[in-house]
Amino acid sequence: MNDMSKLPRSRAAKWTRRGFIGAGVLAGGALLIGVGVRPGNPVGELGPKVASGEGEQLINSWLKIDADNVVTAIVPHCEMGQGAHSVLAQMLADELDADWSLVKVMQAPTDGSYVVTDTIRMFVAAGTTDAPDWLEPTWNGLFTKIGRLADGLITGGSSSIRTTGQHTMRIAGAAARQMLVGAAAKEWGVPASEIVTANSMLSHKASGKSAPYAQFAAAAAEQDMPQTPKLKAPGDYRLMGTDAPRTDIPAKVNGTAQFGIDTKISGQTMTYAAVRRVPVPGTRVAKMDASAAKAMPGVLQILNLGDFIAVVADSYWQAQQALNGITAEYTAAESKIRSSTDQSAAFAAALDKAGDVGGEEVIGKGKVAEAMQVAAKKLSAEYQAPYLAHAPLEPMNATVWVRDGKCEIWTGTQVPLFARSAAAKALGLSKDDVTVHHPIMGGGFGRRLETDYVIQAVRIGQATGYPVKMIWSREEDTQKGLFRPADMSRFSGGLDAKGRLVAYNNVFTQRHDPQEACDCAFYDIPHKSIRVAEAELHLPFAAFRSVDHSQQAFFIESFIDEAAHAAGRDPLEFRLAMLGGSPRHKAVLEKAAAMANWGAKPAAGRGRGIALTESFGSIVAEVVEVDMTSGKPRVTNVWCAADPGFAMNPDGFRNQMEGGIVFGLTAALHGEISLKDGAVEQSNFHDYQLMRMNECPAIAVEIINGNHEKLGGAGEPGLPPAAPALANAIFAANGKRIRALPIAKQFA
Amino acid sequence: MRRSVLLALATLALSACGSKAEDPVEQIVVRKPGESAAAASTPVADDLLAKGKAAFAACSSCHAVVPGAAAGIGPNLHGVVGRKAGSLAGFAYSEAMTKSGITWSEAELNAFLANPAGKVPGTAMAAGRVADAERRTAVVAYLASLKN
Amino acid sequence: MVKFTINGQPASVEADPAMPILWVVREQLGLTGTKFGCGMALCGACTVHLDGQPVRSCSTPIAEAEGKAITTIEGVAGPEGELSKVQQAWISEQVPQCGYCQSGQIMAATALLRDNPSPSDADIDAAMAGNICRCGTYVRIRRAIKVAAGLEPAKGAAQTGEQAA
Repeated sequence: MNDMSKLPRSRAAKWTRRGFIGAGVLAGGALLIGVGVRPGNPVGELGPKVASGEGEQLINSWLKIDADNVVTAIVPHCEMGQGAHSVLAQMLADELDADWSLVKVMQAPTDGSYVVTDTIRMFVAAGTTDAPDWLEPTWNGLFTKIGRLADGLITGGSSSIRTTGQHTMRIAGAAARQMLVGAAAKEWGVPASEIVTANSMLSHKASGKSAPYAQFAAAAAEQDMPQTPKLKAPGDYRLMGTDAPRTDIPAKVNGTAQFGIDTKISGQTMTYAAVRRVPVPGTRVAKMDASAAKAMPGVLQILNLGDFIAVVADSYWQAQQALNGITAEYTAAESKIRSSTDQSAAFAAALDKAGDVGGEEVIGKGKVAEAMQVAAKKLSAEYQAPYLAHAPLEPMNATVWVRDGKCEIWTGTQVPLFARSAAAKALGLSKDDVTVHHPIMGGGFGRRLETDYVIQAVRIGQATGYPVKMIWSREEDTQKGLFRPADMSRFSGGLDAKGRLVAYNNVFTQRHDPQEACDCAFYDIPHKSIRVAEAELHLPFAAFRSVDHSQQAFFIESFIDEAAHAAGRDPLEFRLAMLGGSPRHKAVLEKAAAMANWGAKPAAGRGRGIALTESFGSIVAEVVEVDMTSGKPRVTNVWCAADPGFAMNPDGFRNQMEGGIVFGLTAALHGEISLKDGAVEQSNFHDYQLMRMNECPAIAVEIINGNHEKLGGAGEPGLPPAAPALANAIFAANGKRIRALPIAKQFA
Repeated sequence: MRRSVLLALATLALSACGSKAEDPVEQIVVRKPGESAAAASTPVADDLLAKGKAAFAACSSCHAVVPGAAAGIGPNLHGVVGRKAGSLAGFAYSEAMTKSGITWSEAELNAFLANPAGKVPGTAMAAGRVADAERRTAVVAYLASLKN
Repeated sequence: MVKFTINGQPASVEADPAMPILWVVREQLGLTGTKFGCGMALCGACTVHLDGQPVRSCSTPIAEAEGKAITTIEGVAGPEGELSKVQQAWISEQVPQCGYCQSGQIMAATALLRDNPSPSDADIDAAMAGNICRCGTYVRIRRAIKVAAGLEPAKGAAQTGEQAA
């Protein structure tokens, strides 16, 4: 692909509900066919951005085929470990009937053409159609980020498969297959309906003809564009629903995988920056003494940027050593919250003020007050969850080169287009002058939905004018970022004479998910009032894996458990009795119980707890067994049943459930970011502990494919049930009810 | 639902109106990348203090040495020589250490580093034994140099 | 000047002798498979072998490497790039998620299996407890170590689409 300036205009352009499809032919021998699931033909502009070699055919914005018959899927979502790159390629490859061993994945460039919410925008902008059912959970998952639709290259909300996968990658694959078939039919003089595709080959049985896709990639351009390519029915899936091995794993076992922190700029001397942000949010550096630091080895520049100090040096280690030698004073903080006790008091005050009826109503159903009055038995409980740091193992980092009114950025981010805008704004440049490369991430978990660290890096880069790689220390990453908010929640409940939960009154202090997380809508509870009474948060908010579900599931499923015990019922039976109208939830809960052999009594000193949640469209139940014989909780087993609608890659889905469970148990047992003098107390993994191998239980995961037309997410839904199932297990083991997290220190 | 989306888009539009980030409050340029500088020359390897400082890097994951720096896993060691063992305010020493009765001299430090659990049975310093006598002497010399 | 071998090749670097091996390997030698996670020997992402022993390269000064052999993740495979048993098991069990910790995990597991070819669960817990995986792939790491040890059959690098046709 040489002269990209001579791209002709598209030869077809027609809007359809499914998407837009167009094509173009490249001058100079190469050829492009465009299938874009959006208005306007993207291929012309995109060609140069996705081209990597001679002899490649860009079949559409989402796939290329090279002369060796290798299909490259161009995936718009970011890869942070969740496996989206591979599974989206798997979906495209299935519709294309491609040979999985000949499929490669390429990260789509940071370009507006790859906005993944185009499909969403299509519905919103049209203004005539309500968002379809499949979008509902997506809205909820994307919650606060919806405001960023204009830069909607977002990876979050456990949404990649069910939005981009279902509504873009599959269409692209199916359209390309149809075009290849059309081209072969014309050349061979046979009906298209008689041509069979499999393993990246076209064949025609009667004539005995066959050819690899690559042979017809060029001729496919002359085909009419299939405006609504036919997608496969589940019975015809060949790759979808199988454990196709992840394409990114080989590079992750031999050290060649390139993360943002590994960025090298060829031909340039690399420099490194260490940073120290003000310890208390909202304060400023009042005075900096760098006299010792500037004489230290390797130091190039020392910067006071107002809200943080940076040292640029020949080596990251030298930069950090010099930074350690800088003393500073800071301005006073405005927030009155200085300690975790203050934060809890602020929550309690907000909840006190709201009382039984105050606050903003989220869910109102039936007549709670009346139902409570006539209840045969009443119970109430208050729960609390602390702040958490995301702690991805790759600390925040960004490499930048700001020069001649342009800026180039290499950074792991879940929002590359938004990072571009944020950098442009910070530098006073136009978005077009900022290029963002986003390599794979060493964990995201919501932390990399934020762009604070990118802005820091470009401000340093602007001061130096030469390439700088900024890396946060672990201490910085633990203390100075954005956090899963602390939260407090109060419940009161009323049971009728038969021990059924008929009244449910709940008020809590934090809401960042519109609705889904704070309600257990699948339980049949006739009278319900759920309210939010917002309270000041001292630390800045960032979405955390499973967002509000990470606290709410603990609150809700602990309270349901307390209600079951108050009713004198088995916690499983109590829940099942409320699931008459939710057959999928019931099936999932029954499956988890069966896996755990729930009816059998656990060994002495052990207890089992169960919890059921629905988040990001997936229904998950977990049974946790805990051994309390040493006096401290040791989680021995987790049995997890999950219904994501249809698991596109069951092994990948199981891996996400396992990871979500470990993440949830980590938070439940150890996770706590506390405040002292307005600053975060924890600093590194010795005082912000993460679950390790020796604590990790055996985990069994089973999948129920409950509805292939209504897919749920994978990255987050495994987390929410873990904490309540553990807390409920501890109660079952020794009668101690856990009402606040984390748990481990309560048994120290 | 659509209402919330429109609100969010409006918020975005407002947030896009902000001005560009501030320039540095203070910028100290020491030198340019690639330029050699006297200050950047590597320490002489046969100097005892330099050797000690180098060897101390292994200790620095737990011990800070910058005056006033917060304690890590271990206490700040600035000014350790001459200090009574277990006496730094704000650090949670083991009972064994606070009751050891040691006042750190170079010789005491040397003995402790040669065998921490032998010198102070019950010390929380699980790692940190410096078996090599030459290295140990260098580390102690370096520690002794850390004073105001 | 510090002299050592890196993945079998002789090397010498001009560096502050106190500089941790991690930064010499990453920045001066350009081998970025070894990762920075905590800087305090708490997470294991930086694990390399020094004369065969797993060490936390973020907290081991380069002076310690004088005359010794450093092996990083890039040196685990054979000369023709043939993967070690541990690496193969990591693929067959589809262990990595984000992959950031996995270089360190593989270095730790490699040392474990060399010293203890048939580790028990307790042996694995003890040897691997120094390596954090934030994605939570411990269940698979445990299984992959057993597969590499020949104690359990490989689950197989999963099925491809061909079998599903």
